[in-house]
Amino acid sequence: MLARSALRTARSAGAAARNATSKTASRSASSSSSTAEGAAPWTANALPVGASAFAIGTVAWYYHLYGRNVDAMTPAEEGLHPTQYPWEHAKWHKTFDHQALRRGFQVYQEVCASCHSLERIPYRALVGNIMTVDEAKALAEENEYDTEPNDQGEIEKRPGKLSDYLPSPYKNDEAARAANNGALPPDLSLMVKARHGGCNYIFSLLTGYPEEPPAGAVVQEGLNFNPYFPGTGIAMARVLYDDLVEYDDGTTASTSQMAKDVVEFLNWAAEPEMDDRKKMGWKVLSVSAVLFALSIWVKRYKWAPIKSRKIAYNPPIRSPILDKLPKPNQKS
Amino acid sequence: MGITDFISAAWDTFSTPSPDAEEPAQANKEEESSDEKEESSDDAEEEEEEEEEEETVDPKETLEEECRNSKECHPAKHHYDACVERVTSQIDNDGKASEDCVEEFFHLAHCATACAAPKLFSQLK
Repeated sequence: MLARSALRTARSAGAAARNATSKTASRSASSSSSTAEGAAPWTANALPVGASAFAIGTVAWYYHLYGRNVDAMTPAEEGLHPTQYPWEHAKWHKTFDHQALRRGFQVYQEVCASCHSLERIPYRALVGNIMTVDEAKALAEENEYDTEPNDQGEIEKRPGKLSDYLPSPYKNDEAARAANNGALPPDLSLMVKARHGGCNYIFSLLTGYPEEPPAGAVVQEGLNFNPYFPGTGIAMARVLYDDLVEYDDGTTASTSQMAKDVVEFLNWAAEPEMDDRKKMGWKVLSVSAVLFALSIWVKRYKWAPIKSRKIAYNPPIRSPILDKLPKPNQKS
Repeated sequence: MGITDFISAAWDTFSTPSPDAEEPAQANKEEESSDEKEESSDDAEEEEEEEEEEETVDPKETLEEECRNSKECHPAKHHYDACVERVTSQIDNDGKASEDCVEEFFHLAHCATACAAPKLFSQLK
C-alpha cells in the first residue's frame, strides 16, 4: 500500500516536472526571437564549474598535506605482529582447561616467579580453579606475612593465609630494577589484558627467541633479540627450554607446551571471571530464545482471529420504486 | 506374615556371615598382585617417558622449520636468504653493513608461524 502510494506520488511529481519543462520550453521559444541562438554561453556555467573545481582542489590538497598516516617507525621498532593462535579457551562456547591452568601455575611458580610478581592474585582465587583448599593453604603457609600491630605496636610475622596475596619477588620496583640490570619485570596479573595481542603476544614472545639475531641487526649490550618485542631488544632472556619443569600429570614439557600453559594461566589471572561470564552469556541466550519463541506463539494466537476474519459487504436491496423512476439524462 | 517374621528374617540375614565373606580377601590379594604389576608397568612407562623426555623436541621448532621450507613461504625465505648473503658479504668486505635483515626476517617469521600455528596447537595438550 505504502509502495503503491509512493509510486503514485512519484508519477504525479514526474507529470508536474514534465509540465514545468514544457512551460519553460514554450517561454524560451517565445523569447528566442530576441536572443541570438538557443545554446547557453559558457560564462553562464563558469561560476558553478569553477566552484566545484576549487572544492575538489581543496580536498585533494588537504589529503596531500594531512590525509595520509605518517609511519615514522621502522618495522623493527614496531615489532613483529604476533600470529593468531587457535586458543581453545578463547572460543565463546569453551571454558578454561583447568588442567592447563594447573600446569601453567606450576610453570609460573618455577620459572616466572623468580622475577615477575603476580600481586593481584590471592591464594583464595586459586581454590577450586587450580588447586584444592588444602593445597592452597599449604602453599600460603610457605610464606610469611606481616601481622597487625600487637600490643607493643610491633609488627610480627605470621604464616600466610588463604586471604593473602601471592608474594612478590622484589620489595619494590627500584629493587626489581636494581636486580635486573635496570629493567623492570612487569607484574603479570593483568598482562594478557595489558598487551596488544594478548595471549598471542605473550606466547609468541616466550617462544619466539631466534637462535641468533638476523644478519645486520644490532642488539644492545645486555639485551636479547626478540622479534615480537617492540624495538626487538628485550632485557628478558629466553627462559623456557624443553623439559625445564616436570609436570605432575606427565605432559611432555616442551617449550611451546609450557608457554601455552603459562599463557592460559595468565589469561585466567587477568580474567578469572571468564567462565562465569560465558555461563551468564548462555543464560541470556537461552532465556531470550525461550522468550522469543513464546512471543511468536503469542503473536500468532492474538492475530489468528484478526487475520482469518472475512469482511463481507452486503449492499442494501434496491427498492423497486426507484427503478421505475425516469433517469434524469435519459429520454423516456 | 507378621512383624516377627520380618525381624527373624532380618536376624538371619545379618547374624550369619555371608557365604562370600572370604571373597574380599582374595580380591585384595588379587588387587595387591595387580597393583604390583601396575607398579612394575608404571616403572617401565616412567623409564620410557624418561627416555622420551631426554629427546623432547619442541614441535614448534620442527613445524616452523617445515613451514619455512614450504612452497608457501618460499618468497619470504628467498628474500631473507638473499638479504643475509648481501649483508654478510658487506660485513666481510667493509666491516659494517648498510642495512639489516630484520624486515625480511619478520616476513619469514610471520609466514612460518602463521603456517605452523594450527598444526602446533593440534599437537599441544
